Amino acid sequence: MGDEITSLGGIHISPNAVASIVYHATLQSYGVVGLAPRNLADGIVKTITRDPARGITVNYSGETLDIEIHIIVEYGTRINTVAETVANTVRFQVEKALGLKVNTINVHVAGLRVSNTD
Amino acid sequence: MAADNSRVEKLRKKQINGQSMKRLVEAGMIWLRTNQQTVNALNVFPVPDGDTGTNMVLTMQSAWNEIKDLGHRRVSDMAAAVSKGALMGARGNSGVILSQLWRGFARGVQDKDVMDGATFAKAFAEARDTAYRGVVRPVEGTILTVAREVAEATEAGLKSTQDAIDILEIAVKAADEAVRKTPDLLPLLKQAGVVDSGGKGLFFILEGMLRHVYGESLDTPLMSVQPISAMNLQGALEEVEEGQDYEVIVDFMPADDFDLQKFYNQLEVMGTSIQVGEGEGMYRMHIHVPLEKRYEPIDYVMGLGTITKVAMENLMAQMEDVQKSKASRVAFAPVQPGQIAVVVVSPGAGLSRIFASLGAAATVEGGQTKNPSTQDILNSFENLPTDKIIILPNNKNIVMAANQAKDVTVKQVVVVPSKTVPQGLAAMLSLNPDEELESVAERMTKALIAVKTGEITVAVRNVEIDGVTVKEGQVIALLDGKLVFSTGSVEEGSLGLLEKAEADKHELITLYYGQEMPRAEANRIADVIREKYSDQEVEVQDGGQSHYQFIISVE
Repeated sequence: MGDEITSLGGIHISPNAVASIVYHATLQSYGVVGLAPRNLADGIVKTITRDPARGITVNYSGETLDIEIHIIVEYGTRINTVAETVANTVRFQVEKALGLKVNTINVHVAGLRVSNTD
Repeated sequence: MAADNSRVEKLRKKQINGQSMKRLVEAGMIWLRTNQQTVNALNVFPVPDGDTGTNMVLTMQSAWNEIKDLGHRRVSDMAAAVSKGALMGARGNSGVILSQLWRGFARGVQDKDVMDGATFAKAFAEARDTAYRGVVRPVEGTILTVAREVAEATEAGLKSTQDAIDILEIAVKAADEAVRKTPDLLPLLKQAGVVDSGGKGLFFILEGMLRHVYGESLDTPLMSVQPISAMNLQGALEEVEEGQDYEVIVDFMPADDFDLQKFYNQLEVMGTSIQVGEGEGMYRMHIHVPLEKRYEPIDYVMGLGTITKVAMENLMAQMEDVQKSKASRVAFAPVQPGQIAVVVVSPGAGLSRIFASLGAAATVEGGQTKNPSTQDILNSFENLPTDKIIILPNNKNIVMAANQAKDVTVKQVVVVPSKTVPQGLAAMLSLNPDEELESVAERMTKALIAVKTGEITVAVRNVEIDGVTVKEGQVIALLDGKLVFSTGSVEEGSLGLLEKAEADKHELITLYYGQEMPRAEANRIADVIREKYSDQEVEVQDGGQSHYQFIISVE
């Protein structure tokens, strides 16, 4: 994806590379305490994953870039604001790094982590 | 920071209970709001969208709204309410972190009736811990770092003092230092040449609390000494309030022992709108003072150095002039948090006033020949104190820019695609700012088709469109954006246009005349129209748009 032909040759960016950017941007976002595997089968091994490809799906259809992110959010934060921030940050970071327009970013809040109750 | 010492001593003897805490929170919020633009301007991380200050203010305001009517005497109850309010209103990244800080703070004062130094420090520590728990990879050089340094400094400070005010002083000092260090921790900030915005915002909240303790003003932004040339004396007049009868400007060369901070504090006692400028060993002081104090600043400065020039102006007299010209200024509808704010693109001053009178919260100048940018549209609403926005582009070429503005903001934005000014005005009539955003937008969109739009202008070149031949200089008439015919005069154009619009089957004809159209001429043409359409209501309004002699709505 993201193929570009220059006079010296082509540049190809793999969805995995994009996923890494998304991964780092997401985990730096405030309120996010982890990524969640996107389906139950993935989740058998562990619920919070460290593998960038898990919890993040990148679809590139030749024209548009669509990203799905599954996150675990800290209990006690305003969840929609956290999700919004994730979407904004990811969009900004991906567009800045790749110069590609991101079409949609869907943030799925897969769960909450309760570190302490009050 | 110098302080009103007797006030501080008095407060030192009092304990911080729920009500005192309420006042501290209020002071923090006000001071942050006063310095909101400073914080916005620093915003480069994580996304440089310039809204950190606004988001933090809205979060604090939500906290304040939660507690403002509460009579809790226990500090733990008050802190819990602040935490709840901040959580409910958390906006943006910095807002979420701020709400977590308050949540931790509330936990730190749990079960306490009053807050002493130790409790205060414990609350800061809990705030830090709670905030850090909310993120997997904390980025240093942000508000988190500032919160941590404050917690560490206040913990260490407990060795030397148990007094809550001392702890607050330590916290403010630590926050200030931590903010200064943020560029060293986060390279992005260094590149941009700024300190962290969220951290600075937190500093302002703490400093606002301390200013409250010191009895210092929270309304004027930070003391700033700027080059004399940069002093904005003209703008100050606009904000003249009660008790600001005279403007006094003094140029002076200070003596060697001149203490700027002391000077500034002394001025604050005398008046408002204080500005101090400096250049080549000279200082210029600007202040607004009440009538009876008009010589005070001069006497005071005389003791500090050599006065070279004094200027004094009676603002009340000037204000009268301003009042007269104020009639031409636009008074926008005030917006409360949570309400819907409507932003309209308006091609003329007169139309802006009409939109404002119908409840528009802001206008963006623009029209057929001058399309506003996405940024212009964004700027118009980013600082409104609500996150529900409706945009009326009022031109088909601006709809796109409006949609882009919607994509880049964090606010909820609906673009009601009005293609003409009359459509926009018709939509405004369906506005109810307290209802659901979606349903209001839907009603406004429906209202668009209820009106027909005519435009009368002069052709700038020879052209043939839609089967109509037009010569340069001819008057042309457009109905709903389509060229319908050309003619020799505005009068004929208007009449012909109304005929095409089947005005006789409608009720109301409104003529908005442009800036190139004399009012008398507009009225004359309106009379001709009234004669022909005696069953219809004909209104004439000053639109002030350029290029279009008339914008006509038929409904």
